[in-house]
Amino acid sequence: MNRLHYIAMRLVKTALVTIAVVVLSFFLIRLAPGDAATVMAGQSGYADEAFVKSLRAEYGLDRPLPVQLWKYLGAVAQGDLGTSYARRMPVLEVILQRLPNTLLLDAFALVVAIAGGVWLGGLAARRPGSAGDAAVTVLSMLFYAVPQFWLGMMAVLLFAVWLAWLPPFGIETMGADYTGLARVADVASHMILPGMTLALYYLAGYARLTRTAMIEVAGQDFVKTARAKGIREGQVRRRHILRNALIPLITYAGLQASTLVGGSVLVENVFSWPGIGTLAYEAVTARDNPLLLGIFIVTAILISLFNLVTDIAYSLADPRVELA
Amino acid sequence: MLVSLRDLRVALPPGADRPLAVSDVSLDIARNEIVCIVGESGSGKSVTAHAIMGLLPRGVVTTGGSILFDGVDLLKEPPAALRARRGRDIAMIFQDPMAALNPVVAIGGQVSEQIRAHRAIPESLALRQAGDLLSQMGLKDVAGLLKAYPHQLSGGQRQRVMIAMALSLSPRLLIADEPTTALDVTTQAQILKLIKAIQAERQMSVLFITHDFGVVADIADRVAVMRHGRVLESGPVAQVLGAPAHPYTRALIAAVPRDACALPPLPQAAPLVRVTGLSKRFRRGGLFSRRADVAAVDRVSLILNRGETLGIVGESGSGKSTLARCVIRLLDPDEGAVLFDGADIARMKARGLRPLRRRIQMVFQDPFSSLNPRRRIGDILTAGPRAYGEEAGAARARAAEMLRLVGLNPQAMDRFAHEFSGGQRQRIGLARALMLKPDVLIADEPVSALDVTVQAQVLDLLDDVRRRMNLAMLFITHDMRVAAQVCHRVMVMRHGRVVESGPTREVFAAPSSDYTRALLAAIPGCGRI
Amino acid sequence: MRFLRAFLSRPVALTGLVLFAAIVAVALAAPLLFARGPFAIVGMPLLPPGAPGLLAGSDVLGRDMAVGLAYGARISLLVGIASTLGAVGIGVLLGAVAGYYGGLVDDLLMRVTEFFQIIPSFVLLMVLVAFLQPSLASTVIGIALISWPQVARVVRGEFLALRAREFVQAAKTLGLSDARIIFAEILPNALPPILVVSSMMVGSAILTESALSFLGLGDPNLLSWGSMIGGSRSAMWVAWWTTVLPGLCIMVTVLALAFIGDGLNDALNPRGRR
Repeated sequence: MNRLHYIAMRLVKTALVTIAVVVLSFFLIRLAPGDAATVMAGQSGYADEAFVKSLRAEYGLDRPLPVQLWKYLGAVAQGDLGTSYARRMPVLEVILQRLPNTLLLDAFALVVAIAGGVWLGGLAARRPGSAGDAAVTVLSMLFYAVPQFWLGMMAVLLFAVWLAWLPPFGIETMGADYTGLARVADVASHMILPGMTLALYYLAGYARLTRTAMIEVAGQDFVKTARAKGIREGQVRRRHILRNALIPLITYAGLQASTLVGGSVLVENVFSWPGIGTLAYEAVTARDNPLLLGIFIVTAILISLFNLVTDIAYSLADPRVELA
Repeated sequence: MLVSLRDLRVALPPGADRPLAVSDVSLDIARNEIVCIVGESGSGKSVTAHAIMGLLPRGVVTTGGSILFDGVDLLKEPPAALRARRGRDIAMIFQDPMAALNPVVAIGGQVSEQIRAHRAIPESLALRQAGDLLSQMGLKDVAGLLKAYPHQLSGGQRQRVMIAMALSLSPRLLIADEPTTALDVTTQAQILKLIKAIQAERQMSVLFITHDFGVVADIADRVAVMRHGRVLESGPVAQVLGAPAHPYTRALIAAVPRDACALPPLPQAAPLVRVTGLSKRFRRGGLFSRRADVAAVDRVSLILNRGETLGIVGESGSGKSTLARCVIRLLDPDEGAVLFDGADIARMKARGLRPLRRRIQMVFQDPFSSLNPRRRIGDILTAGPRAYGEEAGAARARAAEMLRLVGLNPQAMDRFAHEFSGGQRQRIGLARALMLKPDVLIADEPVSALDVTVQAQVLDLLDDVRRRMNLAMLFITHDMRVAAQVCHRVMVMRHGRVVESGPTREVFAAPSSDYTRALLAAIPGCGRI
Repeated sequence: MRFLRAFLSRPVALTGLVLFAAIVAVALAAPLLFARGPFAIVGMPLLPPGAPGLLAGSDVLGRDMAVGLAYGARISLLVGIASTLGAVGIGVLLGAVAGYYGGLVDDLLMRVTEFFQIIPSFVLLMVLVAFLQPSLASTVIGIALISWPQVARVVRGEFLALRAREFVQAAKTLGLSDARIIFAEILPNALPPILVVSSMMVGSAILTESALSFLGLGDPNLLSWGSMIGGSRSAMWVAWWTTVLPGLCIMVTVLALAFIGDGLNDALNPRGRR
């Protein structure tokens, strides 16, 4: 089927799903006991009934839920995600400020995880049952079993405190005001610890999956055909085994997108990385409902787009798959 | 001699059912001849072929003997030299061409890769040579084929691509490991003809592995019969087929079904099932793509009489299995009626169907997936009667009796399916169906997964049971020879429609349609054994 | 039993089992060994491990770390097992029904799991727990709610594959009821992957619980490994044991479960068996 038509249909679907996300998370958040007005009044230390009432009126919280939802959906459609209670700033502005930092961190982690995972998994699959294979398997289980936040803290302890090789937190050196290449280098040095912490967990998954897939593919008939053709072993591995084994990895990458955002909540928290993860945590603790809703919407759209990209990559990698 | 195997021994990994896959096999293949190794599963025929190729599976190793190729012992050659020989001097094609081709590489790339592994020529030239090869194999639209992927081709096309690939460097020996087993009978005939023609034209040697004496009769110059890893007898094809020396060879040849013994139609007819205008369509595509209906069964009518066997014969995609599943209501037909004992069960709701359901039972094709691996045979046999309220003790007693009827020891009740051979499992499947005392038995390719000697036993059993219990049997098969052996009447299907039907003897003696004639002509070894 | 022998013959699986048994034993014995509870202050804050009477040192408030670690095992195991049971219960039921019947139920389930795929599940969990008020129950419910789609996907896939097998068709022609076919015929065949997913899920639930507690979203009245780490963040620089030890506990527990899962996987799907 026509690829453009497919993409268009998927974008429509993304929009529909986003609306579903908005509606569901809207109700989820509003059904919680105690509304935002009481929270805000509590925070201002000024909790008398009249003030709470005026706050409710100001934010439209006194109207019936469906009306609020309808108004909210209308605003979202125009790109207005409302105003953050805690920051008194447009939600969209707050999110867009933080988003690039998270994307940078996630992209770095994903690239490291896939490259390292495929390499390690391929190494293990070369001789299943060997000591090297066992080492890779145990290592990947170890990465999986380590709590991410704790791994981050240990990394800080080791590399920032004891060895003092890398900065312990933040995205750049405060007050240094680097520009140009110096700034890039500064951000990069700040990114290594959180990025690697985030990457190791996913690396474990990719390594295991690559190993399993390569061992499975290696047992298939067409690999025997390739050997019967007299092709060199290296080419058999690359062109016939690895190429087929990479297909399930694409699906896995698509499924990982939503956990990657969740993972960055913890890692960003440990490293004080100013991204969406820390923002989400702040929004939860401050009961900043408009901000929370905004984060759900933006991340849902991003993950949907990422899934679209992985689906297209899947159809390119596997000619048997038709986009439909 | 081009190839001489001398006392070849191949060991299986510890824990296998026997220590040696191949024991002391000696075999010669002369230049310009086709040698067949024929045997049932587990005979070691395929392992022998793989040993010549140096492609034994992990854990399976040659432990003795020699494989002389043009005077050189392949077992003593260094791996690099052996690799260079593969594809250039010796090429191989496999049973299932779909599995043997890389699903994510275009056909052109796979053929040119073979050429370029041995010759330093540019990709474009290799692709041109690949195209020439494909057209020599009788393939059309070569430019399109080179860009196509394996799943877009038919089974016959894929095997032609495999052969083109194997022949691309003009090897002196072609090893063909059951190359037509996964194909339809008409396609099989074409591929056999192609292999024979190419062999003659290129004056090369072919080692052809098969389980089918019909195929042997069609293609071989010389034959070796293998069982349990040993060669029992070998010689020119006329000698082995005409005057087999070993009793096992005689048994194998005798087990090949022949049309000569077709049953006469039953004199008095008592219709039990009457199918009229039955259609079943399958929907393809999803929410956003265009829907396309494919008619798997298209307005089929038939009558099945008490006590007779009606054969439904067709190649893959003919709709024969779908038809059977509509009759037993595993699928819901879209149109038409299925009158069973006067009641139309085609659209009956589950509750009304239930009392009738037990009277129509089925025997399935795959002996490995048709029995629940996690339940004991006793539970499998009594589940049906218990669902209809039969008391446990009585059901078990009957199950024991039924096991005896199908030729098994009643002690089988306490065991699991994996402890039995394929033929025994089919017997258990039959016993399960008979436990409900059905009037109609649908047998969907019940012997196609079995070795030929086991096949003959199960067919005899089915016929015996039909006679004893006065069953009406609907017998689905792709194999004309099998149909000829057990069916009173046959119905030939193609693309969901009935091409021809009538008493088996008449249809085989004087087919009225071209398609049936083609099917009969394609039977391997037709008239030769 | 053949499966048990295959499982126990693997050193990795055996290690996992022994480790896990030891952790369970400690968790069960904690109230007997340390009757005064994990919150009791026993001495100076931040005493290093090996200080008199303090096997694992003391924390920022002068509480015995060893007692905290033993009690923490209770929380981790309880949350891990309870939330997995919940997730497996929901997931198996919905996955089985969707996989067996297909059609509308299946479509609906797939939409729901897609929804969970595009919502950052940990953020959703934080919202759920925070809004239900942090407690042991809300943690368990929250983790079960975000985990069941994974089980449902696995079960659905298995049922989809198994329902086409001939023994299932045979069961239909024998007149067995749908409930019997689903639970007595298909489910036992789908158990191996369910077992493997469950054992892995207990581990990831423990990780998730520790993350929640670390962020201060766990039950404030209970001491868990995660909250011990979270509470010692400021002391990490001067008293490494306050964060290192609970983290190691989490890691060893999850690793033990991963070993068990790996052993189950290998014992249940030996390569080369039909």
